[in-house]
Amino acid sequence: MKSKAYDSESQSVDRNVIAELRDVSKSFGDVLAASDLNLSIGEGEFLSFLGPSGCGKTTVLRILAGFEVPTKGEVLLDGEVVNGLDAYNRPVNMVFQQYALFPHMTVTQNIGYGLRQRRPRLSKTQIVKKVTKALDVVQLGGFENRRIWEMSGGQQQRVALARAIINEPKLLLLDEPMAALDRKLRKEMQIELQNLQRQLGITFVLVTHDQEEALSMSDRICIMREGHIVQVGSPQELYDRPKSRYVADFVGTSNFFSGKITNLTENLVSVLLENGMSMQGILGGELTVGQDVCISIRPEQMRLHRQGDGLTVKVLNRIFLGEHTEYLVTHGTLGDFLVLSPRQSELNDVPFNRGDEGLVSWDSSIALILENN
Amino acid sequence: MTQQARNWLLLAPAGTLFLVMLIIPLTVVLIFSFGERAPSGGVVPAFTFEQYANLPARWTAFKNTMTLAPVGTLSALIIAYPLAYFLAVKVDSKWKTILLVMVIVPFWTSILIRSYAWIFLLGGRGIPMVLDWIGIEGVRLINTPFAVLMGIIYGYLPLMVFPIFVSLDRLDKQLLEASSDLGAKPWRTFLQVTLPLSIPGIATGCMLVFILLMGEYLIPALLGGGKVFFVGNALVDLFLQSRNWAYGSAVAVALIVVMLITITFYMRLIGRLGTSRDDVSIM
Repeated sequence: MKSKAYDSESQSVDRNVIAELRDVSKSFGDVLAASDLNLSIGEGEFLSFLGPSGCGKTTVLRILAGFEVPTKGEVLLDGEVVNGLDAYNRPVNMVFQQYALFPHMTVTQNIGYGLRQRRPRLSKTQIVKKVTKALDVVQLGGFENRRIWEMSGGQQQRVALARAIINEPKLLLLDEPMAALDRKLRKEMQIELQNLQRQLGITFVLVTHDQEEALSMSDRICIMREGHIVQVGSPQELYDRPKSRYVADFVGTSNFFSGKITNLTENLVSVLLENGMSMQGILGGELTVGQDVCISIRPEQMRLHRQGDGLTVKVLNRIFLGEHTEYLVTHGTLGDFLVLSPRQSELNDVPFNRGDEGLVSWDSSIALILENN
Repeated sequence: MTQQARNWLLLAPAGTLFLVMLIIPLTVVLIFSFGERAPSGGVVPAFTFEQYANLPARWTAFKNTMTLAPVGTLSALIIAYPLAYFLAVKVDSKWKTILLVMVIVPFWTSILIRSYAWIFLLGGRGIPMVLDWIGIEGVRLINTPFAVLMGIIYGYLPLMVFPIFVSLDRLDKQLLEASSDLGAKPWRTFLQVTLPLSIPGIATGCMLVFILLMGEYLIPALLGGGKVFFVGNALVDLFLQSRNWAYGSAVAVALIVVMLITITFYMRLIGRLGTSRDDVSIM
């Protein structure tokens, strides 16, 4: 399991900084693709940029690679400003979304490409040795003389990976590398990538729109929205302590109830919901009385039961998910929301069916009050 | 109708055309080439190698064709490649179409008219006169191999530009980024990625231009003025002027044989480039 502590509180990194963005902005014509980005990337870290398409995450990756020059701000690599440094002079390598393998070369030639560009030249034996080792790392021994178009998507991805890591880059950039793989292969590759990253100690920077992928592989995730960094943190931090509705919604699933803060006290804060109900929760950020907020409660933090205290709800739908059962329930004032019930409690009790009435309850100390954006 | 019958039906129009316009005439030419000249012109059936034995008499036409066709092809390639590269890689997409159309525009006018323009340009009152003014006297351009070469390059450039443009335009630009990302400077990216991947376009363009040049008639006739003539001009002369069909047929067969041999070698060369790109990429 992960040995690293989840203590990397948001922006700060407890490692040597290998790369840094300082007030980096990039605009294409009138479109601002990245706006005032500040971020430190630690040596040996697995960092993911997560966000929907068009949020600027790929732009950040291309800025790090040297394909785009920032309009404003500084990019630092190993302590040096590299803004004007061409891609071919940067100790950074990229795994492209469509792999971008050279179709006129064999697997070996593709993987050795970076080594052949080195000056002073490496000897042929050195190149062969390194290529063989890289093939071994990505488990493609025996495929040396294959042509690219003779390989499957998964194999092509390994070639792309080997071609990038053979140069021992300071940063390995991965642009949605799993997007073209089927689900099962994707899972396998996720585990493999993680192992590879630990084994090689290379800093990985991944761009993805798949929250599951980001959550399962990363040490830290940087959530982006419309060119801005919204929140940076470990997967657990982002899941447990999102700072805005956007993050809570993007990382995992949550039920949101909008309203205004009526009363700020030490512990629990009262919120008057739009529908007139009053709810209590804890602050998920710096918020003031009267501010538009929402209360976020994860479906698995709610309990659906038949006896005791709770809100009376009606079950609208039931989806069996194996270890969990997901219920879509409706409440007279709150409307529809999701409740996730673990298999165990289902076994102990009679399961709910569509149309059944039940009681939903939760602990007010887990109800997060977030900025409503 | 069975699948097979339908396939034959699809082939029928082109097949008939090929048979009537190509196979039958070629056979006739082959038969004629073994015949003798009739006293009144035309041909008398016979079986003699006399016409073939006489081929060296037309050596100059073959020599001109066999030098100016490859030199013209190569010159067109050297001029067309940078242009195609510029159009495919460097030009903004909204300008691309306009510039491409400009490459085709000359085709809207007949090559005959355009060659007459060249006659004027290269003739005594064209470029030589301008050179005269600036002190370079006695330059003769029209009716020289240079004039024919100019005409060839001018006339065939678009045919060379297009296939190369297509292969460069289709080139995945991300491959260029990948090359740069892996440490290749721009010119090395060109040599190791762009150039090898545009070989199919180069091969097609060269083949197209070369084959057409081997049979060229008009440009040498107009700009070579009877001094620089191709096999095509010799054929016109033999068939229409001296009405020696038998000898003309032998010259035609010889041209076809030369062409087949050249193209076979050419295909081999391209094939080898295709498989031994290892050497290209290992540079």
